[in-house]
Amino acid sequence: MQTTIQLIVNNTPCEATVDTRTLLVDFLRDQLDLTGTHLGCATGNCGACTVMLDGLTVKACTILAADVAGSTVTTIEGWTQDARQSGDLHPIQAAFVKHHALQCGFCTPGMVLSVQQLLKEKPHPTEAEIRHGIAGNLCRCTGYASIVKAVQEIATTTSLSPGGRGLG
Amino acid sequence: MAYIGSAVSGILDTKLVAGKGQYTADVSLPDMGHMAVVRSPYAHARILSIDTSAARQHPGVRIVATGAEIKQWSKPIPHTLNPSAFGGKTADIYCLAIDRVHYVGTPVAAVVADTRHAATEAANLIEVEYADLPVVIDAERALEPDSPLLYPEWETNELMHVRFQGGDVERAFADADHILDDTLRLHRHTATPLEPRAALAHYDDRAERLTLWVSTQAPHPLRTTLANTLQMDENDIQVIQPQVGGAFGVKIPTYQEDPLACLLSKRTGKPVKWIEERTEHLMAGGHAREQTLKFSVACKADGTVTGLKVRIIGDVGALAAVGGWGMSYVASFVVPGPYKIPNCEVDLSIVVTNKGPWNAYRGFGKEAASFLMDRVMDRVADTVQMDRAAVRLKNFVPKDEFPYVQISGATLDSGDYVKALQDVMDKAGYHTFAEEQQRLRAQGRYIGMGVGFELTPEGGCIPDSFIGGYEGATVRVSPSGQVTVLTGVTSPGSGNETGIAQIVADALGVPLSTVRVVQGDTQACPYGLGNWSSRSLFMGGSASLYAAREVHHKVLRVAASMLEAVPEDLNCEQGRIRVKGQADREVAFNDVAEYVHKRAFDHHAFDMEPGLESTRYFRMGNIHHVPDDKGRINTYPSYPYAACVAVVEVDVETGVITLLRYVTVHDCGTVINPLLVEGQFQGAVAQGLGGLIYEQLSYDDNGQLQTGTFMDYTLPTAVEVPSVEIHHQEVPSPYTPLGTKGAGESGVSSPFGTIVSAVENALAPFGVKIHDTPLTPQRVWRMIQTAKNGNNGGAKA
Repeated sequence: MQTTIQLIVNNTPCEATVDTRTLLVDFLRDQLDLTGTHLGCATGNCGACTVMLDGLTVKACTILAADVAGSTVTTIEGWTQDARQSGDLHPIQAAFVKHHALQCGFCTPGMVLSVQQLLKEKPHPTEAEIRHGIAGNLCRCTGYASIVKAVQEIATTTSLSPGGRGLG
Repeated sequence: MAYIGSAVSGILDTKLVAGKGQYTADVSLPDMGHMAVVRSPYAHARILSIDTSAARQHPGVRIVATGAEIKQWSKPIPHTLNPSAFGGKTADIYCLAIDRVHYVGTPVAAVVADTRHAATEAANLIEVEYADLPVVIDAERALEPDSPLLYPEWETNELMHVRFQGGDVERAFADADHILDDTLRLHRHTATPLEPRAALAHYDDRAERLTLWVSTQAPHPLRTTLANTLQMDENDIQVIQPQVGGAFGVKIPTYQEDPLACLLSKRTGKPVKWIEERTEHLMAGGHAREQTLKFSVACKADGTVTGLKVRIIGDVGALAAVGGWGMSYVASFVVPGPYKIPNCEVDLSIVVTNKGPWNAYRGFGKEAASFLMDRVMDRVADTVQMDRAAVRLKNFVPKDEFPYVQISGATLDSGDYVKALQDVMDKAGYHTFAEEQQRLRAQGRYIGMGVGFELTPEGGCIPDSFIGGYEGATVRVSPSGQVTVLTGVTSPGSGNETGIAQIVADALGVPLSTVRVVQGDTQACPYGLGNWSSRSLFMGGSASLYAAREVHHKVLRVAASMLEAVPEDLNCEQGRIRVKGQADREVAFNDVAEYVHKRAFDHHAFDMEPGLESTRYFRMGNIHHVPDDKGRINTYPSYPYAACVAVVEVDVETGVITLLRYVTVHDCGTVINPLLVEGQFQGAVAQGLGGLIYEQLSYDDNGQLQTGTFMDYTLPTAVEVPSVEIHHQEVPSPYTPLGTKGAGESGVSSPFGTIVSAVENALAPFGVKIHDTPLTPQRVWRMIQTAKNGNNGGAKA
């Protein structure tokens, strides 16, 4: 069965016809060519498909595309574009690069989005809070140490004043 | 040396962190079809019939194939390592099962349709009639004379029997002060990279040419095996490796789905895409580790180990073409690891059972040898009442005895094992730990410290295979001075592209930003064997260095002519070529490059071969395939190692183990990039920890996989994996131009022995002895209960 949905993806209104069985992750990847969102397990465990739905991170393999009609979805592509208004990497991404907080890069877009969610909620997390904050995103390469280090650095060096450039 | 040794960030990281990496599943072609694979729900059965009529009529279906068609259309897939070349049995493996299935997940049919939904629907309409056969899932049972046989024509389930022997073992046992026996069991688990396997095959009917985008570690060997399987000319096949989302060994070989997608593209004349589901991966993507390790050790009262007998039974699942059984062979090859035990024998049976086939996984059997030897040393220490580390220090191969030949022929290249262990003990506070332990025990907390040592032979080179000890690279300088490095090695996320760029930038004296590394395209890159066994940097990097040096030599020759100097008086840094000590006499690297390309007939370049390009191959000098006087060959050229200390806390009420600290002193020779090496080591420890405590491929008695998704096959998260404290001990390899040894695999083996030792130490008040893995809370809790009840023989879950 097909259905037509209207939603906003990466600041752009769009209308699409989808098979009702289509997962949000497949819709984003296959129909909108937003391949920065990855599919690793399809059971909601690995977090490679993490995107933002109406401002909160979700696992896009656990949601049907048909269910997000009327919503706002932001993927790594849109978030990066927003963050790069000034032309630089977002502080989270810059810290990931500096600390080589990635190897194969497959989990990275989802991990970055989970980190921004964590820092929005807790601007100065402890190490334990960082580890719990990214526990929904599996990384098979790094063993997480470099990711934790990157987040610790952002949490201690980035200004989060309301007038400044936030981490959202 | 501007870049070598510095912690340069990964050159791909900026792209990957923005989600711009293009993985195989991200590549799409117009009008491509989607492939779904029908897999056996039985662990052992004969295929009586396959009815595909409903599937063929399903809307959107382009083609349906079963074993019968596959046998007409293609040849068997060449084995990555053919057991028959090692005196073992063998079998033909086609893309789909022909008449018999040997494990749950065996591919038996395939469908290509316009959409993934349609392909899955049609696959569900295929009716396969099976006659089920008796199942054997236990390797020791499989060796019994009345066991069901997977391959009746073999008249046994023993795929291969191997024996290594050296010295006078019986004499050593006769003269021993103590003889100890034990049986260890490692459980089945797997690499399971986050990116599933994936392939996009496009047979272009007009060009009569096949292109395969595939998540692989070894594009060139894959092309060769495809040509063989598909009966095509290699020249008509191009294999392209897009960004790979982790591999850890499982993406080395040619899988059945690779030629299958190619065949179905050829038959339909349209592209075919296949993306593996996680459940398919856990069933059929390749397993590892499951081995029984029996040992008998002879030692003196002072802790000197004088003799060792080892019996290994490798439960390698069903036979596939991917060569995973080789891991059990390597386990036996590595014994006795870093120890000097001249009187030693290893007896190995590699056994097939009705479980998923083994496939390469980081560690490749070395983790089994490492676990075995760590347990041997702990047992000896406990028996002679010596410190566990002291027994290791007493038995290590001394640093002045390299190269040291073990009984298998493994020729240890270099190192200082004693210093590595002493250093890690100092850094971990080994000598003062007991006080802290006592203090916490008084509070009812059980912490423990363990030591371990892993020897990780790297760069494997097996005769008559594509597992080889050489690599090739091309270095090319464009007219604008841009440098392209084309390598035969690949990077599935391991970072060697950055390390190779550092080596080449230094060799040429140019900025790193001007160096581009191109990998994973058989049309562009020199023939090479790909990424595995930590070989990419020490072999691929060495080939790149040779090629860069050759180009550098030409650049300096032209520059010298321009500057009226001799090449020996020049140096080149950051793209500026200067006469040493004379800052005003310089020429830009880019200007020289342009001159060579545009003015080949002018005098500065006239007496030189035109072009700024070199392809060189590097071969490890210490591999020998001609047997020595004892019949031994050396198949590994590089022997990095790591001495480790772990601190754990065990909750004795629940059996939950928390790894509090993991400290290592690691030698991989010259470190090209500490950021990358440490990242690899940390990730490897996480996998070793995951394998030891959290991950298990569990089968029921009917051969049904019970842990087929990430809901029940549990990978460690950031909460479970502590940050490893990594220290480097750089003992350069005598056999590589920069002193590099293998890096990347190390770290995965030591957690088994080190953490097990720490857990035993934590639970010493109960007298728990650990023989089997995994250390799940339930199993640890039972071990504690069993020991409390007076039996310390270890618990079976």
